[in-house]
Amino acid sequence: MKSGMRSRRAQVSIGFVALLLGFLSIVQLRAQAGGTGLANLSAQDLTTLIANLNQRNAQLSSEVSTLQAQARQLQAARTLGVSAIGGLQNDLQGIRLWAGLDPVQGRGVAVDCSGPMTASDANDLLNELRLAGAEALAIGQVRVVAGTVVAGPAGGLSVENVPLGASFRVSAIGNPVNLTAALTRIGGIVSRLQVTSPGVQLVVTPENSLTLPATDRSLVPADAQPRL
Amino acid sequence: MTGFVDRARRIPSWQVTLAGALLVLGFLIVAQAGAGPARVQYTTQERPPLVETATELQNQQDALKAQILDLRAQIEQLEATSSGNSALVTSLNDQLQQARIAAGLVDLQGPGVVVQLEDSTQQVPPGAAPGDYLVSSSDILAVVDELWLDGAEAIAVNGERITVTSALTDIGSSILLNGAYLQPPYQIVAIGPKDLYSRLTSSANFARFVQARVEAFGIRLGAGSLDKAVVPAYAGGVALTYAHPVAASPAPTQTTATAAP
Repeated sequence: MKSGMRSRRAQVSIGFVALLLGFLSIVQLRAQAGGTGLANLSAQDLTTLIANLNQRNAQLSSEVSTLQAQARQLQAARTLGVSAIGGLQNDLQGIRLWAGLDPVQGRGVAVDCSGPMTASDANDLLNELRLAGAEALAIGQVRVVAGTVVAGPAGGLSVENVPLGASFRVSAIGNPVNLTAALTRIGGIVSRLQVTSPGVQLVVTPENSLTLPATDRSLVPADAQPRL
Repeated sequence: MTGFVDRARRIPSWQVTLAGALLVLGFLIVAQAGAGPARVQYTTQERPPLVETATELQNQQDALKAQILDLRAQIEQLEATSSGNSALVTSLNDQLQQARIAAGLVDLQGPGVVVQLEDSTQQVPPGAAPGDYLVSSSDILAVVDELWLDGAEAIAVNGERITVTSALTDIGSSILLNGAYLQPPYQIVAIGPKDLYSRLTSSANFARFVQARVEAFGIRLGAGSLDKAVVPAYAGGVALTYAHPVAASPAPTQTTATAAP
C-alpha cells in the first residue's frame, strides 16, 4: 500500500517534470528556429519592409480609385443609353502602352553602357530601373517587355536576337531624379559594378524627351490559354 | 564503503529518473534565459509591433489586390456588353482581350514547369557570409530569366505575376516582387512549350546556377514538369505618369475612333 502510493507520487512528479521539459524544449526550439518569414527579420529590415508595403499599398489604392471611376463611367453610359466607345478606346490605349505594344515617349534617363558587361549585369540594370519606377524601357531600339532578357557572353550580348555591340544605350521613361538617384546611390548598381565587373562603365544622363518603339515580340501566347 | 554502495542501491529508480529529468530541465532553463538577452535590446521592445504592422499591411495589400481583380472583372463585363456600334464594340473588346493577355492581366494555364527554391540547411562555416546560404532575389531572377530564354510565355513567383514593370529586391533575408513580400519557399511557375523542363535543365545557365548555388552553398532546388500549370493575373496598377502615347504615330484603333459617332 505504502509502495503503491509512493510510485503514484513518483509518476505524478515525473509526469509534471516531463510536461515542463516538453514545453521548454519547444520554446527553446522555436526561439532558435525563429519561425519562418517576418519573425526572422531585424527591426531595421522590418522598418524598410513596412515602408515598401506602405508605398505599394498607396499605388494599389490609387489603382482601385481609377478602376472605380472607370466602372462608374461605364455604368453611367449604360444607364443613359449612350455609347461607351471612347471609354473602351482609352482603356485599350492605356493597357497597350503599359504592356509595350505601342510606342511611348516621355522624360527619363539614358544609361550608356560600355566595357565587358555580363548578361546578368544588364538584366540587373533592367531590374534596378523597374524597381526605381521606370514605366517603359528599351535597349537600343528594342523595347523591353515581360520576357525580354539580355543573353550571351560578355562582349557578345544580344537582346531579342539583336546583337548589342561593344557599347549600347538603355533608355528608361520615368522620374529622371528618382531613376538617377537609384542607379548612382551608394550601393547602387553603378558602384556595385565598379567592384564586381571592373572595366564596365555606366553613364547615367537625365533626358527630357525619350521615344521608345513598340515591341516586335508577339505577345499572343501559343502554349498558354486563358483560364476560364 | 560497502555501506555507501548499499545506500546507493536502495535509492528507488524513479528518483534517479527524476534527477536526470531535473538536470535536463535546469540546462534548458539556463539555455532559454541565456538565449534572450543576447539580442540587442530594441529588438525585444520594438519588433512585435513592427511584425504586427507589417502583417496588417500585408493583409491590407491582399484585400486591395482582390478588389482590383474584382473591379477589372466588373469593367470587362460592362465593356463586353456596352452599347454603341456593335461591330466596333465587338472589335474593341477583342482587342482589349488580346491586350489584357499580352499585359498579364488574365489568368493563364497550359503546360509548364515549377521550380522551387529554399534556403540552405547547411551550417554556415566560420568566416563565411550567411547571406550566401539564403535564396536571394538574384537567384530568383536568374531562374526567371532562363525560363524566358527557354520560351516561357507566362511566369509567376508565389502567385505574383511577372509583368513588364515587375522588379525583385532583397530586404534583409526576405524578397519582394511587385512590392509584395514573398514567404519562402519560393515557387516559380512558368507556362511554355511542352519541352520547357528539358530546355531549362539542359541549359548552360541552369547548370551554372546549380553549380554556383546548389553545389557550393546547399540552396535547395526542386524542379518538375507540369501538365497544367496555372499562372494568375497581375493584381496591380497599370497607370502611367511619365510615359505618353507618341503623337506622330496614331494607334491602329484611333482611325476607327474618329469614324464612330
